[in-house]
Amino acid sequence: MTVGSQSLIVRLLRHPSGLVGLLLIALAVGMALGAGFFFPAGPWTMAGPPRLWPGQNAAFLLGTDSLGRDLAAGLFHGSRVSLAVGASAAVVSILIGTVVGSLSGYYGGWLDDVLMRLTDAMQTIPSFLSAIAIVGIVGPSLPTIIFAIAIVSWPMIARLVRAEFLRLRTYDFVQSCRIIGMSDMRIIFTQILPNCLAPIIVASSVLVATAIIVEASLSFLGLGDPNAMSWGTILGNGRAALRTAWYMTAIPATALVLTVLALNLVGDALNDVLNPRLKERS
Amino acid sequence: MKKQLFQLDRRTFMAGLATSVALPGAIGLSAGSAFAEAQTPKRGGTLTTVAWPGTTYMNAAITTSGPESFLSPKFFDGLLGYDFGMVEKPALATEWSIAEDGKRVTFKLRPGVKWHDGEAFTSKDVAFTFMEVLKVHHGRGRSLFADLQAVETPDDLTAVFVLGKPAPAMLKALDGRESPILPAHIYAGTNIMENPANTKPIGTGAFRLASYERGASVVMERNPDYWDEGKPYLDRIILQYIPDASTRTAMLEAGQADIVFLNFLPALDTLRLAAMPDFELVEAGYETSASNQQMDFNLEREIFKDARVRHAIAHAIDRQWIVDNVWHGFGVAGASPLHHDQRAFYTTEGVPQYALDLAKAEALLDEAGHPRGANGVRFELTIDPTPYGDESLTAAEYIREQFRQIGIQLNIRTQDYAVFIKRCWTDRDFDLCLYTAAMGADPTIGVQRFYWSKNFKPGVAFSNGSSYSNPEVDALLEASQVELDPDKRREQFAKFQQIAMTDLPTLPVVHTTRATIGWQKVKDHTVDALGSLGNLANCWIDG
Amino acid sequence: MPRYVLRRLSQAVLVMLLVVIGSFFLVKMAPGDLVDVLAGNSDMTADQMASLRVRYGLDQPVLVQLFIYMSRLVMLDFGYSPLNAAPVLDVIMGRWPVTAILVVSSVVISMTVGTVLGVISARNAGNPIDLSISILMLVLYATPSFVIAICFILFFSVFLGAMPIAGFATVGTQATGFAYAWDVVKHLAMPVAALCTFYVAIYGRIGRASMLEVLKLDYVRTARAKGLPERRVIYVHALRNALLPLVTMAGLQVSALVGGAVLIETIFGLPGMGRTAFDAVFERDTNLLLGVLFISSLSVVVVNFVIDLLYMALDPRVELA
Repeated sequence: MTVGSQSLIVRLLRHPSGLVGLLLIALAVGMALGAGFFFPAGPWTMAGPPRLWPGQNAAFLLGTDSLGRDLAAGLFHGSRVSLAVGASAAVVSILIGTVVGSLSGYYGGWLDDVLMRLTDAMQTIPSFLSAIAIVGIVGPSLPTIIFAIAIVSWPMIARLVRAEFLRLRTYDFVQSCRIIGMSDMRIIFTQILPNCLAPIIVASSVLVATAIIVEASLSFLGLGDPNAMSWGTILGNGRAALRTAWYMTAIPATALVLTVLALNLVGDALNDVLNPRLKERS
Repeated sequence: MKKQLFQLDRRTFMAGLATSVALPGAIGLSAGSAFAEAQTPKRGGTLTTVAWPGTTYMNAAITTSGPESFLSPKFFDGLLGYDFGMVEKPALATEWSIAEDGKRVTFKLRPGVKWHDGEAFTSKDVAFTFMEVLKVHHGRGRSLFADLQAVETPDDLTAVFVLGKPAPAMLKALDGRESPILPAHIYAGTNIMENPANTKPIGTGAFRLASYERGASVVMERNPDYWDEGKPYLDRIILQYIPDASTRTAMLEAGQADIVFLNFLPALDTLRLAAMPDFELVEAGYETSASNQQMDFNLEREIFKDARVRHAIAHAIDRQWIVDNVWHGFGVAGASPLHHDQRAFYTTEGVPQYALDLAKAEALLDEAGHPRGANGVRFELTIDPTPYGDESLTAAEYIREQFRQIGIQLNIRTQDYAVFIKRCWTDRDFDLCLYTAAMGADPTIGVQRFYWSKNFKPGVAFSNGSSYSNPEVDALLEASQVELDPDKRREQFAKFQQIAMTDLPTLPVVHTTRATIGWQKVKDHTVDALGSLGNLANCWIDG
Repeated sequence: MPRYVLRRLSQAVLVMLLVVIGSFFLVKMAPGDLVDVLAGNSDMTADQMASLRVRYGLDQPVLVQLFIYMSRLVMLDFGYSPLNAAPVLDVIMGRWPVTAILVVSSVVISMTVGTVLGVISARNAGNPIDLSISILMLVLYATPSFVIAICFILFFSVFLGAMPIAGFATVGTQATGFAYAWDVVKHLAMPVAALCTFYVAIYGRIGRASMLEVLKLDYVRTARAKGLPERRVIYVHALRNALLPLVTMAGLQVSALVGGAVLIETIFGLPGMGRTAFDAVFERDTNLLLGVLFISSLSVVVVNFVIDLLYMALDPRVELA
């Protein structure tokens, strides 16, 4: 049932959308890793004349923003923040969602009822509104933003995991574990969970993509972390100059769209690779 | 290219203004044909404008907040109006005189003025408004009219202000924005803050309320019985509340709005449109709302008790750079605690200035005993920029870079408005706080509050936030409150500016200038010191 | 069936209770209150601030405030919004229709357009039409709605001068009946389109997948074998079944759309629930924020409840957990 990691990558690379998606993500990750090497001074240094158009000066290939900061440096360093926010928010919501979903699905009964009503309530309050309220109230910093995104995204994972647990807990291998006296926690973590990894992995790519967009939307509304430059920050800063210097908005927006698109392609490919039943779809 | 040239022109022009305003009586105004041409006004038409945020009330007698400041003068008149240079002119009062000792001010009221509901306007309304409303419910009114003991009404058209001590600043605060006259017959004996008329205004003003959709729009219609014969020229004014600045730009550009007041567009968009032949930029008409961007040092923090640290910080910040790149030219580099629109008192003569000089800043910090550490950092500070507008955050980002160069690590902390206000003025949990505040029509109204030691009042927003205390400054400020001789008052404020800039408890960053940008066809919207914060009765549309 | 309805109803009430308590504590976690904001906007003395706190009940312990709030809520009293100088219910009544129209038309349009695109894609699986539709879906999916909204304004309003940019209808319009409706349609066209794009992509992708699934089922094969016209096979036999997962999606989406409406309402100057909540957060207008959260959550719960009932009526075999 488990898929070897090497063969997974190879199979993804053979998949056309997987290949394109992975290449784009590799590019974004490469930018994040290389940011310190290519732009050691960081994204905030006001290195050049303000509002320099791309190509106008060889030292600033992508131009500069309203304060003379190098947009290329911003794009590279920004990929760090955007990807980190996306990945951390996804990890946190997967953790919460998995715990809630497995407890709910495994034990059922009143615990299931309570946890599911909580999940319902979380999904009922418009999620972006909650994210705004949390960030607005606690104050915009990276941990708050990550927390806010995670707290509104876990219900989806919880439902997914719960459904898998409801399906799997009736299976023979789970029943036999019970009979040999294995503890509940061991059954949950060593027997059932590994079997629902596939849908979680597929969902995680969507989670990362959504988190990146939510972070950008928050920055757009002025709720970004002022000490961490993400693509959303550049987008928000460039907005006031949208009509006089559209490149300030277009450059981070393109990076954002391509990354989200790539994550989706990978998600599709993962779905095809991990769910052979649906393979004929594509 | 045109934009660049234009910007340069404006900047050099403004630099000229900074020096010229020191001359008594000099009236430096920006270009703008709105009030220079004498064309025959045409009656009729609708003026559409946009703003944000939406209003709570419709009169500015019970609040000093921005949206009401704009609306109130359309519905309500003040006793006086002001020509350019804050020269008093008649409005509801036709004549006024001050007694020798300055303690009695007599106003002769305009006869035949009617409230929107048809009732006659009398001196009772004046007495009621000042004694029961402005003195009690108006933020600045409470201190400004603190010494107003009574308003006598010998007849229906005479109101006599009886003062405990002379109040020269008071005469600069009697317009429909700062002290609108409310109808006693509607308000007397009611809970003023909860009177329904607060959102269904009945005034004497040039416009009446036609419709109001909370948070969305206000429609004002011409008051046919307005006392100023033939005015207003416009049939209607439509005000739409639009949260997004870029959307406001698009509306103006697409002709879905005719004019935008009060810098409600991004500065770069204002400049871009101003460079087009169909649009006109006017920078006059904001004398009653002159604002400074300033940075408070929290003097309760040990590190700022040493003036050398404050001076070093001043030397590290190029205020002109902030004017050029953060305010995009809409301002003058901070040089005084006053604003240059306070023409009678503003001066830079003998006032210490702190030019950009990173070496000197470093030397001062060394001298003050803050050497660079192993990592090149001398010490760490946090700055709290106001979330109101982008300029303070952007300026803070610039300041962070400048500080890095002199070995100060600066962290920017953002929060929403409630937390910002609480942090800086109630909890006093800040190192540096950066915000823009109104300096008032007179320094006694707007500037004194930041420097007077008796106004160090934790819990009161925009009070003396640095906790500055200097007996000499206190004495000067208190003397100027009651000084009737304009020359003596000028001297007192000159001395005050010198000391304040020497002690530097607060660093004036930018004296901001406001702008109106509109289609050329909108005429005569800015005809006096009040501009769009007046009643727009002279405004008309050509074509 | 009545037992199920009752069970479902009690769940809905429980969810609403959790929403009220949760949002109340979230709001109360905020440092600074309404009076701090009012003091910042309008000079105030410490005495005045204290008396205002008493007036708005902010001097009470939080649990007492919660109790007072909930007991008022039972009487449908949402309290007073100081920011608007009006009762919360009045404010919300003015804004709920804006968001409701925005969200409902977005759901309907994105479902229709998405499904049609999905079906076309599925019928052409593997050929260039499928590929181009799939690429379009991906781009729509990945582009944030606010970017699309800005592009719409610049192209349709500024460049072409064809569309009104802001508001729900022309301000001060005297139009009634059809003319008024047309005015509203013109004002909402761009906001709805911008809000839709993401969901068009989602429905398109789900629609395509579920159509491919259904087309393989026996009864469709039978229909084909019987020689029924292809059009009839697709739109009558297959689509009806492929629609079921889409309807469930619609229920979930209502909540997300209300959230997404914040950005759209901000950009298009629409006085709706989303923007109202946003401003209420920052002005600490607690009653208003709680009211908006309550009413929008209630709308979501009701919509889902109705969808569930419909679902059950249509297909009694469906087990509803």
